[in-house]
Amino acid sequence: MIEPKFEASVGMSRKWDARDAGREVAETAIKNLSRPPDFFLLFSTIHFEKYGGFQEFLNGVWDVLPEGTPLVGGTVAGFITPQGSFTRGATALAVSYFDMDVAIGIGFKTKKNPQKAAKDCCKMIKKELKNSQYKNNLLFEIISGGKIPQFPGMGRRRVIKSGLVSKMATRLSGFSLKILQYGVGREEEILDSLANELPDYTIIGGSSIDNNNMKENFQFFGEDVYTNSIVALGLKTNQNVDINTTYGLKETGIKIKITKKSGHGRVIHEIDGRPALEGFLKKMSWPYDFIDERLYRKTFFTPFGFWKKDLLFPNVIGLILGKDINVGYKIEENELHLLSASGKSLINAVDENLEEFKDNENQLGIIIACAAQLEALGANIFTVREKLINFFDEVPFLLVYVGGEDTYSTKKGKRHINESFNVLTLSKDLPTNQVGKVI
Amino acid sequence: MKDDPIALVLDDLLKLDDILACMVARRNMISVMPSGDGFKPEVKNMWDIIHRAMDDVFTVVGQYSGAGLGEMEFRLQDYEVLFYVFPDTESALVAIVSALANKGLLEVEMENARRDILKILDEQDKAKGIVVHA
Repeated sequence: MIEPKFEASVGMSRKWDARDAGREVAETAIKNLSRPPDFFLLFSTIHFEKYGGFQEFLNGVWDVLPEGTPLVGGTVAGFITPQGSFTRGATALAVSYFDMDVAIGIGFKTKKNPQKAAKDCCKMIKKELKNSQYKNNLLFEIISGGKIPQFPGMGRRRVIKSGLVSKMATRLSGFSLKILQYGVGREEEILDSLANELPDYTIIGGSSIDNNNMKENFQFFGEDVYTNSIVALGLKTNQNVDINTTYGLKETGIKIKITKKSGHGRVIHEIDGRPALEGFLKKMSWPYDFIDERLYRKTFFTPFGFWKKDLLFPNVIGLILGKDINVGYKIEENELHLLSASGKSLINAVDENLEEFKDNENQLGIIIACAAQLEALGANIFTVREKLINFFDEVPFLLVYVGGEDTYSTKKGKRHINESFNVLTLSKDLPTNQVGKVI
Repeated sequence: MKDDPIALVLDDLLKLDDILACMVARRNMISVMPSGDGFKPEVKNMWDIIHRAMDDVFTVVGQYSGAGLGEMEFRLQDYEVLFYVFPDTESALVAIVSALANKGLLEVEMENARRDILKILDEQDKAKGIVVHA
C-alpha cells in the first residue's frame, strides 16, 4: 500500500520575460514533488503586463505543468517564500496528496453582479466535490479587487480636490462600476454569498491587485487569464484545516461618528455633522496640506475600524473625492474607531498569529496579508520572512500580499477586511494526548 | 560595463516603473551605473541639483556608516532619493524615485538589490583572494 504522503513545494521566478518566467515558476514548483501536482496556485506581480502579457506567462506555465492540473491564482502586490521577499516576480505552490479531492471554479463580472459570480463559482466546485468522502473542507479564493476609475480630465487619481469633478465622479461611480467594471471590488458581498453557498467550508482568500496603484488586476484559471472575476480552489481532505487572523492594530481611543453615508456604505459624506474630509482632519488634528496623493502613506498606519459582535473590521481609506471619503468596503456601523499601527506592532502580529499553530503538525502554510501592510512595512517584510522561516522550518509556506483579505469559518465568523495577517495551515491529525487539547 | 554583474542588478531596478535612476555611488563618485542610459528622461533636468544634494548626504553616510547607518532618504521637489548603504563603507545603492511612488514596495526591491550587490562584491573579494594565494 502506498503511504498517502503530503507533498508541497513553492517555486518562483525573477525573470522579466513572461513566457520564461512562467516556465521557470512551474519548473521550480514541481521539481521537488515525487508525482504530478494535484493542484497549483499561481501568483505574479503586475509587471508581466509590459513584458509579454499574462496570457504568455500562463502559456509558459503550461509548457511545463502536466495537462489538466487544477490551477487558480492572480496578480498580487508582493510575496514571501522560503526563497525570499519580493515585490517583482512570480511564485507558485504545487501540492500532491492522495487523500484529497480538488475542484476549481470561476465566476465572472464580479463588480456588476457579485452574488451571481460567487454562486456560479461555487456551483462548479460543489458539482465536482459532491461525492467526496473527506470531512474537512477548504475554499481558497482570489477575487478581482477594486480598480480606481478614470475620471474625465483627471486620469486615475486617489485624491481629487475639485468639488465639481468629485461630485461628477461620485455620480458616475455607479455607471463606472456596473458598466465599465471599474470601482470597488464588492468582495464583502462575494464572501457573503460564498459562505451561504458553502457554509461547512473554511474560506481564505484575497483581492487580486497590481503594485498598489489599483489600476488593473488579473485572475488565472486553468489556461486562461481573466479580470473582474472570482477564481477558487475547493478542497476536501483528511488534513486539518485551521485559520487565524491578527492585525497589529490598536484602538487610539478616537471615535468617529458617521452622520451621512451612501454608495452601499462605502462613501462617507459627513463625520460628526461636518463634511467628511473636514471632520476626519479635525479628529486627526491634521492640516489640509496632508491631503495629496501621498496621504496613503499616513492612512495605511491609521485605518478606520468598526466592531461587529466581537470581530474587528479594519478598513483603509480608498479615495478622497472632494469632501467625501471612499473606503475599501461597506461600513456596517456608524461608529468608527480610529486604529493605529506601527512597524513593530505589524511584525508582532506575525508571532501572535503563528502562536495558534505551534502545537499542530503543520504540512503547509498559506498566508494572506494586506498590501497596505506591505506598503507600511517596506523592507521590514524581510523580518516577517525570518519569522515565518523560524516557525515553519522545513514546512513549505507561501505569503501573498493582496488588496483585501477574506476569511470564514464556522468557529471564527466571516470577514472581508484590510490591514490583516491571515494564516491557513493544513496539518495532520494528532492524538489528543500529544498536545493536551483538540485544536 | 555591459558585463558587470552589478550593472545587471541596476538594470533590473531601473526596469521598475517608479525608479527613475539608480547607481552605486559614494561622495563625488558614481561607481556603477546601469548598462543602458541610466536615467529616465523625466529626471535628467533635475540631475545637477539632485547630484549636489547627494554629495552632501554622502558626507553623512561616510561619517555614520561604521556606526550602523543603513538607509537615508531626502525629498527634493517631486522626487525622493533613497540611499541603501553598504555596511562599513562610504558607498550606497542610490535610487531616484517619484515622490508619489508606492515606496514600501520599492524598498523591498531596493533591499533585494543591495543584498545581491553585497553578494557579488563578496564573491569578487573571494575570487581576488584565490588569485592572491595561488
